[in-house]
Formats: sequence, C-alpha cells, structure tokens
Amino acid sequence: MAKLAGFNKVEVLVVGAGPAGLAAAITIKKRQPEIGVCVIDKAEHAGNHNLSGAVIEPGPLHALLDMALGQWQESERAQDVLGHVVEKDKVLMFLGKKLAFSMMPSIQMARLFRLGFGKMVHKGDYSVSISKLTAWLSDIAKEVGVEVLHGFAAADIIMNGDGSDAIATGVKLVDQGRGHDGKAQANFMEGEVINAEVIILAEGCDGLVTERFVEEAKLTRETAQLYSVGVKEMIAVSDEQYEKFGSNRCVHAMGYPLWTPLRGPGMFGGGIMYTHKKNHITVGMIVGADWKYHDFNPQDALARFKEHSYVKRYIEGGEVVEAGAKMIPEGGYRAVPRDPATNYIGKNNVIIVGDAAGFVDMLRIKGLHNAISSGMTAGMAVAAHFSFPEEIAMRYTRMLEESRVHRDMRAARNFRQTVAKFGNSLGFPLSVAANWLPKFNIEPDYETMTKASYRFKREKAFDKDAFTAAARVEHREEQPGHIKIIDPEICYNICPDNYDCPCIVFCPAGVYERIHDEARPANPSNCLHCKTCQNKCPYDNIRWGVPEGGGGPRYKDM
Amino acid sequence: MSHYIVLVKQVPDVTQITDNAFDPETGNLMRGKLPSVINELDAQALAFAEHMRQLDGTAGGKVIALTMGPPMAEDVLRYSLARGADEAVLLTDRSLGGADTWATANPLAYAVRKIVREMLGGADDYYVVSGMQSVDGDTAQVPAQLAEEMGLPCVAYATGVAKGSERAEFTRIISGGSQKVSPRALPAVVTVAKYEETLFAGFAATRWARQKEIIRWSADDVRPTAVGVKGSKTRVIRVFPPAKTQRKCKHVASVGEFVQLLRESLKKASAVEGANGDVATDYVLPRKRGSVMDRSFEGTSKEIASFEDLVGQLKALNIESAGAVDDEAKEKIIAASRNGAKLNQAMLDDMLKGLEAVEPSYRGDVWVVAEHDNGQVHASTFELLGKARHLADSLEVKVGVVLAGQSVAGMAGSLIAGGADNVYVIEHPLLAEFDPSAMRKSIAEVIGRHWPQIVLFAATPQGRVIAPMISYRLGCGLTADCTSLDIRDSSRKGEIAVLMQTRPALGGNVMATICTKDSKCQMATARPGVFKRLPADESRKGEIIKEEVELTEDDLSLDVIETERGTGDVNFEAEIIISGGKGLASKSNYEDILNQLTSTVAEHLDCSVERGASRAAVEQGFVERVHQVGQTGTAVGPKVYLAMAISGAIQHMIGVSNSEAIFAINNDPNAPIFKQCDYYLVGNIEEIVPELTKQLGAN
Repeated sequence: MAKLAGFNKVEVLVVGAGPAGLAAAITIKKRQPEIGVCVIDKAEHAGNHNLSGAVIEPGPLHALLDMALGQWQESERAQDVLGHVVEKDKVLMFLGKKLAFSMMPSIQMARLFRLGFGKMVHKGDYSVSISKLTAWLSDIAKEVGVEVLHGFAAADIIMNGDGSDAIATGVKLVDQGRGHDGKAQANFMEGEVINAEVIILAEGCDGLVTERFVEEAKLTRETAQLYSVGVKEMIAVSDEQYEKFGSNRCVHAMGYPLWTPLRGPGMFGGGIMYTHKKNHITVGMIVGADWKYHDFNPQDALARFKEHSYVKRYIEGGEVVEAGAKMIPEGGYRAVPRDPATNYIGKNNVIIVGDAAGFVDMLRIKGLHNAISSGMTAGMAVAAHFSFPEEIAMRYTRMLEESRVHRDMRAARNFRQTVAKFGNSLGFPLSVAANWLPKFNIEPDYETMTKASYRFKREKAFDKDAFTAAARVEHREEQPGHIKIIDPEICYNICPDNYDCPCIVFCPAGVYERIHDEARPANPSNCLHCKTCQNKCPYDNIRWGVPEGGGGPRYKDM
Repeated sequence: MSHYIVLVKQVPDVTQITDNAFDPETGNLMRGKLPSVINELDAQALAFAEHMRQLDGTAGGKVIALTMGPPMAEDVLRYSLARGADEAVLLTDRSLGGADTWATANPLAYAVRKIVREMLGGADDYYVVSGMQSVDGDTAQVPAQLAEEMGLPCVAYATGVAKGSERAEFTRIISGGSQKVSPRALPAVVTVAKYEETLFAGFAATRWARQKEIIRWSADDVRPTAVGVKGSKTRVIRVFPPAKTQRKCKHVASVGEFVQLLRESLKKASAVEGANGDVATDYVLPRKRGSVMDRSFEGTSKEIASFEDLVGQLKALNIESAGAVDDEAKEKIIAASRNGAKLNQAMLDDMLKGLEAVEPSYRGDVWVVAEHDNGQVHASTFELLGKARHLADSLEVKVGVVLAGQSVAGMAGSLIAGGADNVYVIEHPLLAEFDPSAMRKSIAEVIGRHWPQIVLFAATPQGRVIAPMISYRLGCGLTADCTSLDIRDSSRKGEIAVLMQTRPALGGNVMATICTKDSKCQMATARPGVFKRLPADESRKGEIIKEEVELTEDDLSLDVIETERGTGDVNFEAEIIISGGKGLASKSNYEDILNQLTSTVAEHLDCSVERGASRAAVEQGFVERVHQVGQTGTAVGPKVYLAMAISGAIQHMIGVSNSEAIFAINNDPNAPIFKQCDYYLVGNIEEIVPELTKQLGAN
C-alpha cells in the first residue's frame, strides 16, 4: 500500500530484544542519535521470552545504565528490578537426598591460587528476573529513541553477493495466516522483508536467523557448540520460609541428583536457588545437554532437587507461580562462530552478540554481563563506523578483542570441554590446568545418547501441563506446525527400538507425543522455544522453525 | 465503494486473571492489575470490515477505527491502524466516564455522525462494524442501541459475509440456526459474533501506525445528549465475587450409579438462580409488613443492618414514626451510631426519609416478551414467565406477555398455562420473518401503551438485539444477561420495590447487582436455562388482548435471503456437553462414541446436547475446531459436562469451570481431571461406552 512505502526500511536492525540486543541499540542511540535503530522480537511483550537464573555481574549493567540514564540508582524501577544483592553465596555438594556440604572453602582456596573455578563466586552480584530486567531495558531503549517492535518473528536473512563481498540486505519475517495444512487463509500475510544497512544478530542461544547466517556467510566454529538445558520454577513461599531463606541468598548445588561419585549418574550441572522477589524462591536445574540417559528429563532432576532436605524446607507447600525452560550455550571461546578468512564474529555489515555468539563464561557460570558488554561494544562499533557498513564486523571484532569479554572467554576456553571429556570427577580437578591441555574435539550433544537409564527417574511423571501453564505459553493454534521432522521413518522404525523416542521425555513442554506408534511434535502450541529438541534428538532429526510472531511463553518474572 | 467505521473497545485481559488479581479482603477483582487489550470480538470486527472492503473490490473505501475511553485507549486505535485501518478517532473526556451502555451508545452515535460529516463527506454508503459484545461488559447492547439512536438497520451476530448483487450479504446466527440477510439500505450496523481470521500487524504498518496522528474529540466536539454517570439509565448497587463451586471428586464404581448421578444432575434446577446469596427471602410490600418501618428487604445485608440499627434506636427513644424525629433525637442517634457505621446528618436524613417511603416506586404489570418459531413458544419464554409470575405475585400485579408475529394468537393459550394473566397479541404480515426494526417498533409501541413496570427478554440472539433497541427507543435502562432478579427496596434513595438485577461481568469473574434509574420501566434480559418454568396449568384463566400496530414496507430493515435451521452450528448453550479427548485415539472412534452418546442422550434424556473436544483431539483432526472446549476454545457452563478420555490439563479445565456438574471417564487412575470433577469412572472407554449407552437409553 502506498501509505506504507518506505516503512520497511531501517538503518540498523537488531534481531532480538534481549539484554545484548537492547544494550547495542541503546548504545548506538546514545552515541549517534541520528542513526535509526529498530529492534524486533518474536515475543508478544518485552521480556516474555527472556529466562535466566539469574545472577548478573553488576559491572557492565552499571555501565549501560550510567550511559543511558545517568542517575538511576534511586529510581523505583531500579529498586524493583535490582533490589536483591547476593550476600550469602552458597556453593554446595549434595550427597543423596539429605546431605549437603559446602564447597565454598575449596572455591575460596582456588580463588586464592587464582585457579579457574575460583571465579565461581557471586557475592555482590544482583539476583534478578531477566524478564523484568529486559522489560526495563526495553523501556529505556524506547525512551532514548529506539524503535522496539514486538511480535515480529524473523525467519531468514537475505544475503547479496558471494564470498568476502557477501552483504546482507535485510531480514525476512515469518509468513503469518496459514492454516494447519499450510494453505493461506483470508488473513494471510506473507513475511515482510525488512531492509537494513547494518544487522545485529542478538537472538540468544541457537538463534534461528543467526544459524542461517552462519551457514550462508560460511562462518565456522573451531569446536561444536555445547549446550546445557535449564528448567526453572518460581515458587511462592510462606513468610517464615522466605525469612529463613533471606532476601539475598544464592545457592548453587552440585552432585545429587545429577551426579554421584560411584554409581552415577554422571551429568554436568546442578541446581540453583535464588530469590528476586519477596516471598518467592526460584529453583532451577541446569544440566549439560551431553547427558546419555535416554529417559532423562531435567524436570525430573528438578523435582528430585526440590525434594532434597536442604531445598525442601524452604519451598515445601509453596505454589509454583511461574515456570520455564531454556538452553545455555556453553561451548565458550572456541564455539563462537567466526569468518574463517578474517576471524571476524560476523561478516561485513552483520555481527553477532550475546548468547547468539555464545559469550557465556563457564568459569563464572554467567553470561549476562558478557551479553551486555558485547552488545555495548557492537553499539560503539556501529555508532563510530556507521558510514562504512561493510567494516562493522571488523570494527566490532577488534574492539571486542580488546575487551574483558575476550580475555575472560579465552581464560575459560577449555573448562567446559575438559569436564565434558573427562567427566565430573576427573574433569573438575583437571580443569585447573585446562588451558594447558590440548583442544578437545567434543561431539555435539545429540551424539551422546545411549540406552542407559537415569537412576533417579521418578515413578510419577512430571506434570508438564502444569509447567507449560505456568509459562503461560500460547500460539495461534491454526498455524502449521513449526517443528519439522526430517525423516519420519526414523521416528517410526529406528528410534523406538534404540532410545524409545527420548524427545517425548526430554521436551520440557510435552510437545512430543507418541501417536499411532510414532513420536511426533503433536502439541506445537505448547512449545517454550527452548530448542532442546533440535540439539538433543539422537538422530539429529528435528529442526525448529519459528512460529508466527507473538507466540511462545509469556514470562514475567523468570 | 463503501466505508467502514469500526467500533473498538479496550478491555482488561480476562484471560490473564490469576488469584492475585483478586482483592484478598473483599474477594473482588482488581481491574488495574490486568493488562489492557483490544476486545477480541472487536479485533474480529476489524478483520471482518477489512474482508468486506476486499470483497467490495473498488478502490477508495476507508476503514476508520473509533473508540470511546480514557486516553490510554489510544492503544487499541494503534492496534487497528497497524492492521489496515486508515484513520483513528478517540472520543475521550472525563465527563464521559462511568457511562452505562445507554450513555456509551449515545456519544458514539454522535461521533459516527461527525465522522460521516467531516471525514466521509456526508456519504451514506457506510457500515458501522463492531464486535457483538465486549468481554468486560458482556452486554451486546451498545451496537444495537447505536443503531436505534441513528435509525439504522442492525445485522446482529454476523459470522460471514459475501458479495451480494446490490449490498453485501451477511450470514448471521439466529436461534437454532443461521440466516442470510442483506440490509435494505445503507448505512447499516453489523455486529460480529465470530470471525476467526483476525489480522496480523504488519511491520511497515506498525511503524506507520506509530507516527500516524490520532483524531481526538471531547464530549463538546460531538455534543451527545447523554453523558457519563448522569446520562446513564442504570446504576450499580454492588459488586461481589461469584460463589465458588467445590467439586466433589467422587469415584463411582459402577456405570449404573454413574448414569443415575448424571440424570439427577440434569434434573437439578440451575444453581445459578439466586446467585445473589446476600438476600434470598421472598419480597413483601411495606404495607404488608408487620411494621412500616420494617426494612428487612433492602438490596444488601449491610443496608438491612443499618436500618435495623436505626429502627432499634428509634424504639429506644420511644419514637414511633420517622416523621416524629426532632433535632435533639437526631443528635442522640448520630452520637449513638457505631464507629463502623458512623452516621452524619445527611445520611440520617436520607434514612429517615426512606423510612417514610412505603409506596412502590414503579407501577404496572410485569411483562415478558415472547420468542417463538414454527408455531412454538421457546422454552426461554416459559422460564421468564416463571420468574415474572414470582415477581408479579410479590408486587401484587399481573403478568403480561407480548406475542408478536404473523399469525401467533394460537400460541397464547400455552402462555396462559405457563403463568401469564394477559397476552398481548400483535399480528401483522410484515412480522413473518424476524426483522429487528419492524419487531422493535411494534413491541415498543405496545409497551408504550400500557407501561408495565418490568419487561423481561430472553438473552438469545433475538432478544439481545431487540431488547437494547426497544429500551433505547422508550428511554429505559436495560441490564443484560441477568442470573438473578429480585424485588428489593433501596430505601435510602427513596426507592421501594425496585428490580435488583444481578449479572456476571468480566467473563464471570465478578457479579454485579444493578438498578434501573431515570426510566419509566425496568428492563432486563436473562440467559436461557437460568430460571425455572412453572408446570403448565391448562386450567389457568387469562385474557388475550389484540393489539393493532401499523407497519409498512419501510419499517423492514433486512431482506431475508435464506434461513437454515439446525446447521452444523455448535450450541454450547446445551444442557449437556459431551467431550472427547485425544485418548479416543482416532477420528472414527471419536465419531462412533460421540454419536452413540449424543443421540442416546437427546432421545432419552429430553435435553439439548452438544459435542465438544479437547484441544489435543481437535489437533488430531477428530473434529472441527468450533467444537473445542477450553481456555483457547470456548468456555462452557452446561448443567452436565461429560469428559471422555480427557486428561484434564489446566487449560481445558478453566474452560469448563462454570459447568454445574463435571463427569469424567478415563482409563488412567491418575488422570488430573479426577481431581477437578464431581464424579468419575476409571476404565477403558471402549468397554464402558456400550454399557453407558444402554443405561442412558433405559427409561
């Protein structure tokens, strides 16, 4: 339509309104207000698709807020979002259902000797809801003049030219208004093309457009990306329980039910207990996606964790008011996608920031501060060199290489891989010397599946319906399924005999179901967008496509 | 080339209601805690208008979105602009706040006139398109009242539109079927009941919408004749939380017992009636009470207590009538009033004045407007008659029924047997088909000749169109979809024996008791199934009164093209809904089982029945989506909900929570539904169904 001519063109397009993308957008606008910046996000409202533990290192966040707002410490919003500062920093080892030992002495010791995992401390960090923090950053972005548009799901990137000259011209949104059968309905709207001079990919873990771009622009990773899957519940507890737990405690617990020294299981990860809201305690379970048990589901481990005597006393009788799941990219420094010819994290006018690039520091088990830092760095690069869009990838990478993000990521480059290679018992001690060890080629997570069973499997199946209800997930139900099975034959004939269709078990939302002897994504409208399926199917037989914009979970306090 | 003025409304998102949206003290819903969204049916109306524009095909047709609300209602206009609307008008003014439907329809009509004058060059080829009702008010009155104010044809409950030879042809829902109609002239009002393909926001359109200027008008700009609270014809007496039902969760061992319980539940009178638990006793006129100062028939128990206190004090002071209270006594009474109910001079004066009021505020009979097709009076009319009889007896007046149609006098006898004293028969050839314009003109005229004090309509597709039109035409307030009707006093306001109309609002999350004001007559609609009909008494005597009305072709507003009865439309108002879940495994199995059960129930249990399905069953293609029950399908509240092989996901159970009794059958003894139903059987569906069918069929 004529009245709309020109409205599909923007100068800088940021894909993904999470902490990284918003940090980039805010930085550009603060430095060069005349540059038009537009951020799109598939969630219906700001923060709806953002989930994390989360403890966040304050440094980069303060830098961003200082730049954007100047005075912010006293504001009501700051009090609300950043009101919980970690004081009681507990790192525990759970042995069985009752025992808990503090690991703090060994971490302090490691810290003293400047060993890697000595960085695993959180005192002074903020304990936050990342959905709330993101919603705040989104409002800040709007205030400084960024266009933040929600409900728009990007499906692809449009590249022009080949090889080193390849330039992205824009991003294509997903088609909307098709029926179950794929046919266009009366309200069909073909995915619009948004044209942009510079594109910042900030989609978060395993980004759809990011991975399309990595493929199209022929970026490579030195080692495969490794993931963890995190599931989380926010529980409303009694006054007494909350008082006992305190408003500033932060608990990380290794061991049971993911790992026991002799009889197994042996999985990487652990449970968390934080609080970022009065009378609410957040419990979560983060598990390395290289688990080998075909019948394992992180939610089962979470349920076990909640029954552990240390955890139970604080949450027993409480009501789960919100829940959600996500993946965490843990491959670290060597799993960051780069242009093999130039080593840039991106190509020409396209750059990748935050979790989409994989800036999680596994020694600190935190990535939010790096997401914000990399976003701000991207923003500075774009603001300074906008007139030369094809130089953006180079400028961004160079600036990043001079930053703490780069130093920290390099320092942690072998930690996660060492644990993956040698297992917890040997891997943790070895990780002290990880950076003197050679580079390991770790297999992708989907290749680790075996017929083994998880020893602490619970008799009663986890109530995934209640879980997805607490995530307030919703999609337009008439749309075509957004999850594709590459070869249904595998699901029908091969997988059942070997692994008994683990997708049915591990999908935290119960998307997969066995119907007429075949595992299928039968309930796509339950999907939490965690993408565990496309990284954990033992036959690498699942591809996650993006559903219509506005669909997915509606996290408010995750 | 036609234009489209789309009425959109901003409403609280009732799908987001959680426990902490309720005030822990009063139990009332805190509206401010809910996010605001566009009313879903208005979003559908916008898509409907856009669809009409595309069907029309000629260039230049405009879509203009109009809303009345606080400044933040701008959001729904931006929503509309991002989805095809070309212009947006926000009617906003403090003085317009607190309006009922009357004082909403009136300013909106004036705004439409101004839009036509100033933005459409005075054209008359336009449609006013709107959602049938809003999710917060749920009344469906504003569009019909706007049509009445502007004198336009009203096509209510539209579900589809096609290009006609001259004007668009609409498919609309009528009782028990559907009908194709075309307005005889433009402009016309269209209300949309279901049009699922709502529009998506475009990226470019959203950016355009953000910078597009919105036209803002105040009350002075449009000059309405009814404004805000003052211009309203109803007032809210109190708002309270609905009674929570407790499910019994009883495991039933045998199919026989299961069927027995099911039959009993079906026979039970609707529990909804009398939901106003605050006051329940039958009304007695003041002059019939032991003392004229007896005020035990106030609208709220708090008010009853206040008057009791006052009368007690008068007694203690040996004062026999309210008129005899002197200043000294007043001072004593005020001094003695308790902290919780501290009186001041003005309050006391009002109450004393109220104590002197003994004559009913309204005069005249209690009327029911009859609905019928194919020579049969609807069950809903008999239910209203039962209620009207009750009300009229305590008011010591007569029950009248208006019966309008082509040749309808034959039905009068059944109405007398059903409880009527007088049947006012209007017969005219032009009333052969239900045409809202002709119908509302005839009925309003007859009401205006006799002025009853109460008129009741059924909240059916017909009743919900003509009731707003008739009430607006006669200048009377109207309350929609009442679940409880009681005669009570509002002595403090000097009102005696008025109709307290209690109805659910905000998707059933709150209840409100409403009174008519500034009207000659009190009007209300009530949902079918809420009230109980009286047993037919053929020996009852009554009078049949012929009423003449003058109608010409010009009084017709719609051409009826085609009428279909009993089509595939889903009747979720049925008394029993039988739903199948994914556990039924296949489409053929679903069909077999549901056919067996529904036909047996319809045949032997003498009640209306409809089939439903869980979302998962719909997604497996067992049945069309219109049958989907639940949060994302349709929320239902039948007398009996029978769930076959449905696990009971929260999303499903929320959508059936208004059912009076929930029955479940599932082979999984741990199925979550068993914790949320009244009676359940554990076992294999295939094995249970033959026995179940047999037992249901046994008389």
